[in-house]
Amino acid sequence: METMFFEYPATKELANKAHVGVVGSGDLEVLVIPSDEPRTKVEVRTGMTGFDETWGKVLGRFFNQYAVQANIQVNDFGATPGVVSLRLAQALEVSGKYERA
Amino acid sequence: MNVLKVSFVELNARERIKSLLDEGTYRELLDPFDGFESPHLERQNIVPQSDDGVVIAKGEINQQPAVIISIEGNFQGGGIGEVSGAKIAGALELALRDNKEGIPTRPILLYDTGGVRLQEANYGLLAIAEIGAAMVALREYTSVIGVIPGKIGCFGGMSLTAGLCSSLVMTKEGRLTLNGPEVIEQEAGIEEFDSQDRQLIWNTIGGEQRYSLGFVDKLADDDVESIKKIIVNQLDHKDTHRFRSEQVDLYRSRIQKIDPSQLLSPLDVRRVWNETVAEKRAGDESDRSEENPDESRGRTWFTGLTDTAKSDDVPSVLCTDKTVGDERIRYIAVVPDSNNRFPRARKGEVGLEEGWAIAHYVREVIEQDEDGNRRAIVAIVDVPSQAYGYNEELLGLHQAGAAAVDAYAKARQAGHPVITLIVGNAISGAFLTHGLQSNHILALNDEGVNIHVMSKQSAARITRRTIEELEKATKKIPAMAYDVVSFATLGALHELIDGVEASHPKCEDIEKIEGRIIAAIASARSGPLDLSNRLQSLQAIDNRLASIKVRERLKELW
Repeated sequence: METMFFEYPATKELANKAHVGVVGSGDLEVLVIPSDEPRTKVEVRTGMTGFDETWGKVLGRFFNQYAVQANIQVNDFGATPGVVSLRLAQALEVSGKYERA
Repeated sequence: MNVLKVSFVELNARERIKSLLDEGTYRELLDPFDGFESPHLERQNIVPQSDDGVVIAKGEINQQPAVIISIEGNFQGGGIGEVSGAKIAGALELALRDNKEGIPTRPILLYDTGGVRLQEANYGLLAIAEIGAAMVALREYTSVIGVIPGKIGCFGGMSLTAGLCSSLVMTKEGRLTLNGPEVIEQEAGIEEFDSQDRQLIWNTIGGEQRYSLGFVDKLADDDVESIKKIIVNQLDHKDTHRFRSEQVDLYRSRIQKIDPSQLLSPLDVRRVWNETVAEKRAGDESDRSEENPDESRGRTWFTGLTDTAKSDDVPSVLCTDKTVGDERIRYIAVVPDSNNRFPRARKGEVGLEEGWAIAHYVREVIEQDEDGNRRAIVAIVDVPSQAYGYNEELLGLHQAGAAAVDAYAKARQAGHPVITLIVGNAISGAFLTHGLQSNHILALNDEGVNIHVMSKQSAARITRRTIEELEKATKKIPAMAYDVVSFATLGALHELIDGVEASHPKCEDIEKIEGRIIAAIASARSGPLDLSNRLQSLQAIDNRLASIKVRERLKELW
């Protein structure tokens, strides 16, 4: 298991907290908690070690596009980058209002 | 009208609850943001889940107040750990409180579980005992409804709790069994059960098979609306039938008519099942002469404490009454019997006959003492495991176990002091069945006393680790260790007794233990009738903190 932290500048406020997904095979769980700070803070815990760079790229691209002010917890069980992006988008959708940067 | 079906099985744990509760009434307790994940998984390099794989929500079903407990099969195979177990037990305990106070909260369990989460081993075992205790108490007030939709199904210790449900609903896709096919194959060989043979698996433990033998009440289509309809219908079924786990005479009569020397076909069993009526079994001590009884610690201690070596009709379950001072005590022990009709239960395992016989002996005490002085019951525990076999599962080993759990819990709740004395192994489903429902557990502090949920070989196979990796993990997590001293740190033991010759007790050892039993009985007579004392010990406050905190927080949110 590996724990990683990422941080991105953010400008968009989020309406609600959100929870999607399951820590099950090929999937992940995402918790989104709105924050007042102008940044996105992401903590990733994953069972698949050695993919720091991939995580950095996937999350970097996503939060560059959706600059939401939030603390985000990701609990991963081997999801592919595509699934990760989908779950993140789903979490923001559940959370309510977000705008594209 | 043709309505499109919406699959219930495909929904996750949370969506399943939402699909059942009346719209707009869903309120989740201990939700993912409450911060109650497993404190034990990260240390074993496993990513935890924010709700620990169990969702608890209150709401209304058909305008009646309900609490639905839903297990997420996709997270760690729906395994029951400390937090997830405490969420289930805590919710049931609060539903019990509600019903006692006249609030008719309906409890519904959506099963999707492999049983005890092996990474949290004895935490799961203790939690499942607490879940069973709450269910037996709750059933007296309201229907406890269980649903096994499928994908994982309902396995291990949780299958015993399914056997306690007032009403059980299953789909064809569901499976219900104490020992999973992989475990049976590991423990008894591929000739006994080929865990790759899907058809065999569903023909043995699948929903249709379970329904045809009467182990479940309703077979449901995998469709949200029909499952909801069935649940609503079952809500008011309270007085219409006896609980399955109470039908001891019927199941004993059925099992007696079975020839277990070969692998049975489901069709044969169905025929025998339907032809059999409940009969009280007559004890036939005469032709069961015990000339060369198989030695075991259980037998040694039973004989030492009771001065007898008598068994009634099942040679592997010893039972006798003895008066010590003012206390009348019924002693019960499961022992090896190399002539056991069921080959898989010859080494002292708890099998079908054993589970139902225990239930019989305990219920006899409850019935005989109904209007007066309630005698004590002492379970002498030396059980290497439950019986691993194809016939065992086909004939409903989980139901035999549930019957024993039911009987012990009922006796305790009725005011019989129930004491467990662990003199040897106390393992897994066998321990849940025989020993874990007591007011007080006493254990001998001895190397030959082991308490755990699965043999190391099987546990390693199921969790995909080597035995070395497993042993390393047990050093970090006391609940995973196999020795009694580690188990004692969890706070469920009333007393760990030192300085006794466990294998060959001398007279003074027997006297000493008898004294401790009498003291434990006295303490039980003035103590609570539920299992709450297990969480109030000093060790529990240290080592089962999450079990306590989960309950406290649930109570606040309830």
